[in-house]
Formats: sequence, structure tokens, C-alpha cells
Amino acid sequence: MQRTSFLLGALSGITVVANADHIFAQALAASPLPGLPGGANRTLLLINLQGGNDGLNCVVPHGNPDYYRVRPSLAIGRDQVLAIDAQLGFNPQMRALKALYDKGSVAVVQGVGYPDPDHSHFRSTEIWQTAAPDKYLHTGWLGRYMDEAGLPADNLFNGVALSQVLPEVMVATKTDVPAIPSERGYGLISDRNAASRATYTQVVRDARQPFSSPYLSHVMEIEDHSQRGSQELPKLIAGYKPAGAYPATALGRSLSLAAQIVGSKLGTKVIYVQHGSFDTHVSQVQTQNRLLGEFSDAIAAFYADLAAHGSDGDVLTMTFSEFGRRIEENGSRGTDHGEASPLFLIGGNVKGGMYGASPDLSNTSNGNVRFGTDFRSVYATVLERWLGKPSQKILSGTFPTLPVLA
Amino acid sequence: MANVDVAGIHRPAGTLDAAGALRPYGGPWNERLAAHLMRRAGFGGSPDEIRAMAAMSPAEAVGSLIHFPSTANMPQPADVFDPVAYLRGQFGNQRPADMTEDQKRERNKGLRMQERQSVLALQAWWLDRMLNSPAPLQEKMALYFHGHFTSAAIQKGVTPPMVLAQNQLFRSNALGNLRELTRGVSKDPAMLIYLDNALNVATHPNENYARELMELFTLGVDHYTENDVRESARAWSGWTVFRRTGEAGFVGTRHDDGTKTFLGKTGNFNGDDIVDIIFEQPQAATFFAGSLLNYFVYNDPEPALVDAVAALIRKHDFELAPVMSTLLRSDVFFSERAYRALVKSPAEFVVGAHKALGLTTLDPTAQRGMNQMGQILFYPPNVAGWPGGQNWVTSQMVIARQNYVAGLVNSQVMAQSSWLPSVPMTAGPAAAALIASILQGDASPLATAQLASYLNGASESALGMLSGENRDERVRGAAYLTMAMPAFQLA
Repeated sequence: MQRTSFLLGALSGITVVANADHIFAQALAASPLPGLPGGANRTLLLINLQGGNDGLNCVVPHGNPDYYRVRPSLAIGRDQVLAIDAQLGFNPQMRALKALYDKGSVAVVQGVGYPDPDHSHFRSTEIWQTAAPDKYLHTGWLGRYMDEAGLPADNLFNGVALSQVLPEVMVATKTDVPAIPSERGYGLISDRNAASRATYTQVVRDARQPFSSPYLSHVMEIEDHSQRGSQELPKLIAGYKPAGAYPATALGRSLSLAAQIVGSKLGTKVIYVQHGSFDTHVSQVQTQNRLLGEFSDAIAAFYADLAAHGSDGDVLTMTFSEFGRRIEENGSRGTDHGEASPLFLIGGNVKGGMYGASPDLSNTSNGNVRFGTDFRSVYATVLERWLGKPSQKILSGTFPTLPVLA
Repeated sequence: MANVDVAGIHRPAGTLDAAGALRPYGGPWNERLAAHLMRRAGFGGSPDEIRAMAAMSPAEAVGSLIHFPSTANMPQPADVFDPVAYLRGQFGNQRPADMTEDQKRERNKGLRMQERQSVLALQAWWLDRMLNSPAPLQEKMALYFHGHFTSAAIQKGVTPPMVLAQNQLFRSNALGNLRELTRGVSKDPAMLIYLDNALNVATHPNENYARELMELFTLGVDHYTENDVRESARAWSGWTVFRRTGEAGFVGTRHDDGTKTFLGKTGNFNGDDIVDIIFEQPQAATFFAGSLLNYFVYNDPEPALVDAVAALIRKHDFELAPVMSTLLRSDVFFSERAYRALVKSPAEFVVGAHKALGLTTLDPTAQRGMNQMGQILFYPPNVAGWPGGQNWVTSQMVIARQNYVAGLVNSQVMAQSSWLPSVPMTAGPAAAALIASILQGDASPLATAQLASYLNGASESALGMLSGENRDERVRGAAYLTMAMPAFQLA
């Protein structure tokens, strides 16, 4: 039982030949953004569905009897699925996202993965973030985008990670990305003391040191950034008021802050947020449904807020997860680490709909969903069609773009 | 894996004197250079330790680090959680297949939690050794090897006793022979599991370890072929870890007994033969020379310097004691180009902050701080270890470093500082004492003046000279500001 998407067809495999569209995109990207509307204000919001999101219970193949056979206790009933068509539907908690899908603002790319999948959370997360399945890189694909994009060196917010720790995907060599766990949690403790703050500002900036070091200027620059950035951000975003309420969840708060950053026009090109944990080895339905509901509600609030400020076309949201999960459920009403899974592209210039082949539950990769679309094809598409940069250097290779963005 | 990038790794400016680089250093000797030696060959020194080191000659100072006292009597970690023993005790000989779902859930939950807690305790134990061992170079070498011959805890079933055993292997071979250590680590249970050599059987050779052994541990990319990887994997087949004991072993029936051709040699090789053949390659010494220079001297060393150290390594047949002795005493090591030329890792930063403040008790938030600075002991990010250099300095990591120190100077353990209570009561001399003790004078005159003015309450609304009343708070605040200065981020 296999459903082929109405758009992708042959493009879903790894053996895709660059099509005319792709060549056009490359030519476009090589010149400085002709014809890409709204380039200046475009932001990519990357959401890490951390822990391994189960694709089959997220984009449910409710028309496939095999699904009900392999998931006796976990399958989502036909009467509960938010049906898109006779074959597929969304998890019942994703009503808000389904509404956006019906408006044409959501694209689902099925079966995204990479060759020789790694089943370790750590390594597979790293592979997705560095876009390097076959080598160890210390920069992320969005970090390399920022390095290549020639973003203004004096902007402290070219990229922003709304997380406690800087994720690898945002690690760049020319741009320093602040990690902002929350507006309150970003900053130096000592800044709460005026005397300490004033002295710190001076002592970390005086370049006349009695020694030299290949790292001195970098250390001083980042010490300066971290203090200035944390002091300036609250002032820079204070003028933006959310148009509506956000869900009282961690993701809701993060996306509210993301909207403030976007709406305040700080020149931020990429924002990272994480949501999870989707590592549902045990009692999956309860956990995953809650997380997907939180995701769906927060996204809806985010785009409603942006729309009220006239900037909903400025943000493309893309999700990823380090892997999908095993097709057959385990003995603990959960699922174990798997391989390919669907990802979402929302807002921006998305051409809504389903892309990529639906999971084939009979032709599997050791019981896991076989990947049909290389994740770097999705990255290439986002880089070239949204961020307006050639992808070849950033991704160390040429990957065909998908017709998912206008 | 194809390769590892070196983004953000920088060589110092200036020119190398290649011919004289490894000559014993004969210049002036002082606390500044003694502190440099202690930062590189350990985790820094307290003001007292630095003074003692500066009172020796450079040869004696390096000798005291190389010929270190026995550490056998240092405290051993208590109650290392062994899941193998736990399972035997709790579940007898019951096999997972015979368990109910509830039993399995209970078992896995308990296991994971206890394993994590046990690894946390091992981290604290190791940090305490870094801080208090009379053999700091032994701990520094162990940390170097941990980042070099990388294995990670818990992932894939590496248990806390295996983590400890590997750490002890690094410690007991700290200044031993690199070939012997490579043999040992190849048969170390944590490594066998982490890089899948425990699953390597003649019928299905697993190439993961065979590849990383050459690419990341001994030769570097481009110094072997894919066929060498395959042949090495065949030679290593048969090694495994017995799940019921957690011990490594060799199962002859799973070993490929056929003829292998590896790096140009042909024979019925086993794993030890593979290591020997690797170490016969001139590239092995070159590879370790570059790695040691990067870690102990400066990043991206010139090929001429690498060649000189490689020749030294070959001359001593991979024995580390004489190699490190020469390197740590050398002109290039004490040159201005090497001085403050490395970025401190979070372990060096956190332990170094304790040392600088004259503390011997580890602050309980040290591990949480290191986590936010990007280094969790026993959980390296991947098999390539921690990248280092500029990669340790992002806004988030700098905020984590500064906030950690801000917390440390106001923590309970500060009451034990060996010297802060005796800082002069006058602002100028107090600032000078802080800059001398913590930074060996590596601050600009302006920064020293600003620190003095802070101590005198210059920018506070209620102006107040340094006095008995505000002294404790001001000195702690000034110690924080001193450690926030750029020099303290650099090793």
C-alpha cells in the first residue's frame, strides 16, 4: 500500500536528477536575490521536535490497514483522525494546525531522513544539525548559512537560539548567536549590580593587554556581545505587544518571544526553538498527543499574532526531529528509535499540501520507515527559495530542491 | 567518517624558531611562567602553589610534574553503580524475555536513573582529583586522552564501572607508552561498546572501530585506504564484552583467522598486530605530535614544529614521559607565542577558578556550570571529542562562565579561600593583589585602576571607601570581575 504525493512523485527518491526548476533556483540564488519578494525581512523559525517524533501517529495513515495491524494499542482510530483525505490525517490534537493546513499554509514532507541512519539521539541530532551524515563538523547548517550570508557584523541578533544551550545548528564561525532561554534568563547575574555592571563593561573592553593571544580579540568581542546583547534585547523588543494570548506552555512562551523578535525587526534571519521530549518508549499516546497539541496551538497563536502585525508572510517555520520511530509498537505501549519521519513547513512562501511518499509499512528498513527524501534536499530548498543563498557550499554537495516553496 | 573540521582553531601570530623550538628554555623564570606551566600541565595553581613552583628551577618544576608522587592513596569513588550486579541481585537469573512488561519497565527506569546518578558522582570525583591531586599532569593527561580516545557513558550500554575503568586506564597510562595505551583502549569495555567493536564478528565485521582507530586516534584521514579499514575490522573480529560480567574478552570462534593485507603488510593479523603496524607508520608519530602540540602548546602548530616533536616521539618509541618532559621544558612552550594562546576548556576554567581562589573543596554547582559551558565529563559530543579553541567561546558559553564565577564567589566554599581574607584593606593594593594572584598581572593598567575604583565604591550611589563593613562583599565582587577579564578565559 503506497500513496504517492500529488506533487513530488519522482522527486521523493535520492536518485533525483536536478530539474529545470532547480537550475533556475540556483541561478537565482547566485545573483543577489532578484525576484525573491520580501527578502529583507525573511526569517526562518526552526523547531526541533526533540527526542524522535513518531511520524505514524503524527501524520496518520488511517487508510492503511497495516497501520492498525502493527499498532494494536497505539493506533489512532479512524473516527479520531483529523482526515486530510481517505489515506492521511493529522493527530487529533492538531486541530489548529489542520486549520492552517486547510488554508494552504502548511506543507508536510513525508519520509525525510538520510542514508545509513544512526539510531543514537546524540549522533542523529548532530547529523541533522550539522547536515553532515558522513563527517564531524563543528558548525551547523544555519551557522554556515549565516557565515555565507554576509550579515551585518554589528548586529547581535542575526540568529537567535531560544534555548538554554546553543544548539549545534546555530554554531557559526563569523557570527555569534546568543542562546536566550527566556527574556529573564538571558544575561549576566552580576549585571543586577550597577557597580559591577559598569566595571565589567570597562574591564572586558580594554584591548591594551600585557600579552597577545590568537584568541584575545575574539574573547573580548564575545564578552562585549554577551553583555550588550542581554542588556539591549529587552529594550529592543519592548515596543512589540502580542495581538492575542499564547498558550501557557514553554513552547507558547518561546514563540511569543520569537514573534517579538520578528516583529521588532532586529534583522534576525534564523530563530531556533526546541520542543519535547518526543522520546516515547513508554505510554506514547499520552505524551505525544500532548506535545503535538502544544505544538499545534503555539504555532496557531504565533501566526495569528504575526498576521495581526502584518508579518505572517515574513516567517517560514520548519520542524525537524532526529528520527522517527519504529513502525511496530513495543511492549510498553511505546515505540523505539526509528528512521525517517515527516517534517512540517509552515507559513512564509509555502505551497501547502502533502509532499513525498507516505511511509511504506511493508517495505521497511529493518522495521523502520525507509527515507524517501534526503533532509538536505529540504535544507537546500529552504536555503535557496526562502533565505536566497546557494546551498552547495553550505551543504557540501548538490541536493535537488523540492517544489514546496513558491 | 570522512573528516573533522578545524573551524575556529587559530595559530598565534609571529614566527617560529623551528631549529631552537625544543631546546630547554633558558630565559627568565618567574611566577608568570610557573603559572603558565601549571595551567598547561594541570588546571592552574593557587597563589601558594605558583610561588612554590617559581621558587624551583624550570628543570625542577617540570621534573616535579613528570615524576609525580603515587596517587594510589587518593580517595576512590564510592558506590559505583553496576547494572550487571544490580540485575543479578534484583532479578536473579530471570531473562528479559521472561519478564512481564511492568517488571521490564520497573527495571529499566531504575537502571537508567541509578546509572545517571552514578556518572554524576564520578564526574564530581574526577573534578575533585583535578583540583586536589598531587599529580596534576596525570589528571590533565587523563582529560586529554578522554577527548582523544573518546567514549561516552550510558549510550549503547556503557556502564558506570566501565566509565571508571576507562578513566583509570587513561590515568595509569598518563605518561606511559602510546602504543601500549592504544592496545589497552582497544580492548577496553567502554570503547568496545561505544565504537561497536564488541559486535565485530568474522561473519559480519563491524568497521566502526577499525575506522576511528586510524582516522581519529592514530593516523588521521587520508593515511589509509577503505581496504585497510575492512582488513583491520577483520583482524579485530572476535573481541566482545560479556554482558553478564561487563568484562572484555576474545572469542576465538568469532575471529576471522584468514590472511589480511593491512597498510602494505600481509599476514594472519590480530588486533595487537594492527596496532603495531599502525605505530610503524611514520604518520603515527606525526599525528600524535600535532595532537599534543594543539593541546599543550598552541593550536594549529607549524609543520616544522610538528616534525620536530614527531622525531622526538619516534626517538623515544612513543614513551610519553621523556616526550612531555622535553615539550614542557622547551623554548617554544615558554615562548610569548604560546603564552595564553589556548582557550581554557570548561574543566580548566572551573577547576582553575577554584585554584585561583585558593579553594580545595569543589563547589557543588560545578557540574551544572560545566554543562552550560558545553563540557560534560564522560559525555563528549561525539567520537571526535571536544573541538576546543574558539568553539568554547560563544555568548551563551561566556555568560555561563561569568555567571558560574559570580555564583562561586558568593558560595559557601568561598569561606575557605586561602588568601582572599588577607587582601589589603586599601583599594589600590587590593586590586593589584587580585590581578597578581588570579591573572599573574595579565590585565591592562586601566583595568587594574577600574578594579580599584570598584573596590572603593566609585560607581555606587552610597559612596564608601573599602572598609571592614563592605570589605567581604567588595573583594568577592572584585574577584569575580578579575576572573571575568579576558586573560582568565585563556590558558
